[in-house]
Amino acid sequence: MSQLQATIFGALSGSLFAVMALGLSLVWGFLKIINLAHFGMILLGAYLTFELATTTGIDPIITVMIGAMAMFLFGAIVQAGFERWRVSEFNSLLISYGLLIITVQVVSNVWTADFQRMDSSVNPYAAQSLALGPLRFPLPTLIAAGFAVILVVAAKLILERTYSGRALQAFGQDRDIAGAFGIDHTKLGILLAGAAGATAAIGGMLHSLGESLHPDAPFEWVGRVFAIVILGGIGNVTGTLYAGLLVGGISGLTAAVWSPSASPFVVFSLVVLALVFRPTGLFPSKAGH
Amino acid sequence: MAVLAALLLVVAACGDGGSDATTTTAAAGTTTEGDTLGTEAPDTTGGEASGDPIVVGSTLPLTGFLSATGVIHQIAGQLYVDRLNDSGGLLGRPVEWNLIDDTSDGARIAELYEQLISQDGVDLIMGPYATPNILAAMPVAERHGYVLPQHTAVLAPALTYECQFPGWSIGPAPNEFIPNQLADVFDSLGDEVSTVALVTNEGGSTSFVSYGRPDVEEPSASTILPERGYEIVADVPYPIGNTEWGPIAVTLQEAQPDAVLVMGLGVEANGLIDAMEQLDYSPPMIFALFPAPGPLLGMGEAADGLLSVSMFEPNEPILAELDPELQDVTEEFSTRVEEADLPYSVFETQAAATWNAWSILVQGVEGAGSLDHQAICDYLHENGADLPFAGQVSFDPEQNNFWPSNQVIKQIQGGDWVVVWPEDRAASELAGPNG
Amino acid sequence: MSDRGWIGLLLVAVGLAAVPALAAVFDFNSFYLVFLSGILFWTAQSTSWNILSGYSGYFSFGQGAFYGVGVYSMAVFFGRHGVDWLAATVIGGLLSMLLALAIGTIAFRLRSLRGEIFALLTLAVPFILAAVVRLSDTIDGGQGIIVPVPEYPDFLGSFQTFFFVASAVVGVLSLAVAFVMERTRYGWALFAIRDDEAVAEGLGVPTFKHKMISIAANGLIGGVSGAVLALNLGFVSVEGTFNLRVPLFVIVMSVLGGRNHWAGPMIGAIYIHTLQNRLADSGFDGWSLIVLGVILVLLVLLAPEGLMARFGRRPWAVGGVFASTLIGLGSWGGWGQPVDWLAVALGAAALVGFLPGRRGREMAGGRRAHHALEIFEGVPAPVEVGRPLVLADEAAKDFGGVHALRGVSVTISQGELVGLVGPNGSGKTTLVNLISGALPPTSGTLTLDGKDLVGMPQHRIAHLGIARTYQIPRPFHSLTVRDNVAIAIMFGRVPHGLEVAREAADEFLSLVGLHHLSDQLPGQVNLHERQLLEMARAMATRPVVLLLDEALAGLNPVEVDNAVAVVRRIHDSGVAIVFVEHVLRVVNQLATRIVVLDQGEVLAEGEPDIVMSDPAVIRAYLGKEGHARRQ
Repeated sequence: MSQLQATIFGALSGSLFAVMALGLSLVWGFLKIINLAHFGMILLGAYLTFELATTTGIDPIITVMIGAMAMFLFGAIVQAGFERWRVSEFNSLLISYGLLIITVQVVSNVWTADFQRMDSSVNPYAAQSLALGPLRFPLPTLIAAGFAVILVVAAKLILERTYSGRALQAFGQDRDIAGAFGIDHTKLGILLAGAAGATAAIGGMLHSLGESLHPDAPFEWVGRVFAIVILGGIGNVTGTLYAGLLVGGISGLTAAVWSPSASPFVVFSLVVLALVFRPTGLFPSKAGH
Repeated sequence: MAVLAALLLVVAACGDGGSDATTTTAAAGTTTEGDTLGTEAPDTTGGEASGDPIVVGSTLPLTGFLSATGVIHQIAGQLYVDRLNDSGGLLGRPVEWNLIDDTSDGARIAELYEQLISQDGVDLIMGPYATPNILAAMPVAERHGYVLPQHTAVLAPALTYECQFPGWSIGPAPNEFIPNQLADVFDSLGDEVSTVALVTNEGGSTSFVSYGRPDVEEPSASTILPERGYEIVADVPYPIGNTEWGPIAVTLQEAQPDAVLVMGLGVEANGLIDAMEQLDYSPPMIFALFPAPGPLLGMGEAADGLLSVSMFEPNEPILAELDPELQDVTEEFSTRVEEADLPYSVFETQAAATWNAWSILVQGVEGAGSLDHQAICDYLHENGADLPFAGQVSFDPEQNNFWPSNQVIKQIQGGDWVVVWPEDRAASELAGPNG
Repeated sequence: MSDRGWIGLLLVAVGLAAVPALAAVFDFNSFYLVFLSGILFWTAQSTSWNILSGYSGYFSFGQGAFYGVGVYSMAVFFGRHGVDWLAATVIGGLLSMLLALAIGTIAFRLRSLRGEIFALLTLAVPFILAAVVRLSDTIDGGQGIIVPVPEYPDFLGSFQTFFFVASAVVGVLSLAVAFVMERTRYGWALFAIRDDEAVAEGLGVPTFKHKMISIAANGLIGGVSGAVLALNLGFVSVEGTFNLRVPLFVIVMSVLGGRNHWAGPMIGAIYIHTLQNRLADSGFDGWSLIVLGVILVLLVLLAPEGLMARFGRRPWAVGGVFASTLIGLGSWGGWGQPVDWLAVALGAAALVGFLPGRRGREMAGGRRAHHALEIFEGVPAPVEVGRPLVLADEAAKDFGGVHALRGVSVTISQGELVGLVGPNGSGKTTLVNLISGALPPTSGTLTLDGKDLVGMPQHRIAHLGIARTYQIPRPFHSLTVRDNVAIAIMFGRVPHGLEVAREAADEFLSLVGLHHLSDQLPGQVNLHERQLLEMARAMATRPVVLLLDEALAGLNPVEVDNAVAVVRRIHDSGVAIVFVEHVLRVVNQLATRIVVLDQGEVLAEGEPDIVMSDPAVIRAYLGKEGHARRQ
């Protein structure tokens, strides 16, 4: 039973990371850009939630609407920049890294380098959980799981049912041919990057519900987020969710059964195995990635 | 393109051998006899310092993962230097602090201290923050024969340089002192505590307390606590940077210890407490070894009664016994921290450790009457120092200069940290286990 | 050209060797030795990364793994167990190289592990290593390891001098390895692999061997360099070692400096390290990371190919400005410290490099050169059909549930010109892929002169004498037309050096009529010319059988005639040709024999006239697509 509880803890936490990973995976898969600044947007989203909730007293989850709009703009502008200067996939990595360290420093200057944490009066979710029989579902990450499902379903619907979505898929598979069919990748790309930014803000908000904030946090997220992107398949929306749950669940179970120090070992060994035997991800989708 | 080169030029122009935003120099004026700076804080009514500045060089993590505490040391150190200059400086000369941001990167420490000593030619140095960085700076100091006062490394056996002087000491064997002190605290609660859980951050100082060094047979919490009658019902080490507390909470809930000992740092205890709350599990007592003090206070009931170690807390009864100058210091520090928009502005152990460390440096220089490092080192070995927040201590090289600890135990009561142990130094009574 | 390179490397080595002597004589303070040691460390790390990722295009995120193994080898063997530091360094290098070879064996064997997948694999490795190191008390256990100061020879004087010498040796070693690899066949192989690995393999380049060499070099140097650095760290911890700093910075430095040149990463290291140092010292405090980030973004936008590419266009101007600025500030001495002067001099040099002007080899946009085509008049020569060469016996290929080939048996004999035709999807290209070894058959046998081809590495099949061209030409984009052909000669059955290969390339370029375009880049010539290049390159491997996959696709009638003439010339030189074609008039003209495929099976084969009037064949064409054009 305790193993199950530990797995639940882990899986729900993994769904939070899945939300963080979603935008990164989509932009990487469809726009061929590895955007490290995505982590900066998550950080900003978290701090914006903290700031807005603390100063106005509004429920932190609601404040994400503002954060999401702000990060939508951020993401869109960055993508517009990449387009304008025709940045290669490789160089996008470096530029986004530059943007990331700028963001981290700005956050540190504005909100100080010390830990910031929403008071329990502002953030009622931190220590709560939902009880189902003997099992507990911690609230912050349960909410995260909810958002994850919503975002993934929404993304899937958009990608498969709308013209823009299918155009994006075409573009992701073969950009030259898609261009020949008149698909304007520039606008699509900017929209997608903006949407990714908005999901980053949501991820940041969710993060702030359960954790203390520190400007240096992005560097702690990178490993697990990339693991989820890899296992889920780059650009694979549902895969990202499943991978998040899987990575989180395995992590939690390993921590309880073996040792918390062993979790990264198990997770990343899994990543290596997956890359070797299933390079397109553990959950291949029909929609070509 | 021109912008780029201009930037590089500007950067280089600003880097003229280490000026920085925190330098202060008192105006030239009459010289005074240097006040001995023992238990007294620099006397603000003293005369002006004059002449060539004495430069103290050091690094601190002002950015990066250690910066939360790094900035505290920056503010405390700057306050010390300001007050020192206001009261006549050092050997009558103004003191300038050349502080470099090491960005929490241990690999840069050696190069930066080499730069401070060799290129910038600083007269004195102060240690950086966090044990790994202090250990990285030590060989450089030793190589150049510079006295190294440091404020936060308590891993005594590793600090072998004989001219290293700690501003905070948990004695020469923290791995024995802390578990024994804890056992004393639990003893005083009668039978209420008989089982404990050990949850340990695998990094240097904390792991050392729980398990001792890997290559050495030595006592530690995992051996001493059982010897003192406290059964360890759960033993969970976790890696630095761990953020998954759920599984650990589950293990603890299963073990049902009377006291959970979180041998961790920063906000790790917060994460664990949240996770336990989510399980509706509230251990009777919780102890955290080196937490960030502020965030725990905002946790409300869940963290009520939590214990930790301390060297100093500005509780009323303790302040009342303190030199008025030092009381003033704690207030001015709080003001400065609030002006810097930092959330937790209380002058406590970290700031006190810095204050001690700077005090050691100043006393050594004043006592030796010169900036000659060997003379300073000898003086400190022969005479010890009168530390503002520890009293008179002596530095025994056999103990790596780690003076017998004056550590107290603090507890969260009514949303504040208060000293509760030992009884003769307590500001309030130790509260026993919850429910 | 190569002379200048040698001089550069020699200058660097001599300059570095002189430093300790100068330091002793002029009493430099030891900080400069440590500062230079830092630059040398980053030079070694970045250069070793570049040998793999820059040269071969296999982008690695895992430099931290090699660095970490080196650091921990020193920490554990020397720090914890007192093994001699030099021995510990060697151990670190060897362990790291073993790790590299292990990664390479896994990653390079699998065809699917290309590009970003390889990057992700290397990203995961340091995390695994970190976890293992942390878990194991024998190695670290989490508490970190103290690395004491080693004993060094007395004549060196100070520890800093010793450390500098050790760092300099490793740094120069890394530069030398990169230099040698770049200028020799190894470099060419890696560049070809980077441009198009499948094509390179098909031309005879042993891609696996070369990739393993480059990753081994990466691992060895990374490990040795890490081990040496550990001597100056004082204290080693898991989080301090296995973080993103090293993996990211080596990428930044290599890209900034330039990935195509042995000195590129070194330039990047000098710039970044100096910049970081000055920023830390500058008192910018809350701004230093912002400045660093901004400069990084600007540099990547302004010089996407790296600083070396810019400097290489006017090396004397850049060098001159740098030296004079440095010396000027130094002798004036009225401002700043030597590292400040260095920073300003670097900035001035960068400024000069960014001045608009001469562009050198690169051309603006994709301007296509219009050149007169050398038209060949083709005269059909009588063919003598000789012994069988390629035998396909019941060769079949399945892709998942799709049966692309269902048991095809054909024989290609010496002197033949075999036309392989059939409707779209009939399996023509698949058959070409099977014969050339690009894909393994699901069942059946393929032999050349009796030798079993199945399972043989493609480059060996190329050496045995089978060459193929691609329907959409795949030249090596960063190499000239001549060098594209030269590669095939360099790595042919009999290896040749670059100069010899280049001369011999002319012969093949003349064969197809491309001689006048030898110095162009593939991006500057038109489609027909690129198809001719495909043929010339394939011919340069001196095949006995040449497989032409729709070599006429997209050509106008004049070009088609020209191509036909070229094919004849090739055939006359004694090569058996199999050509896949849709243009039936050409097939009729050229082929000695036609093989018709339909739905993965041989539908008919024989003389062109007879086969093309077979009703089954006509039905297959008209029934499917209806685009059979009889002319």
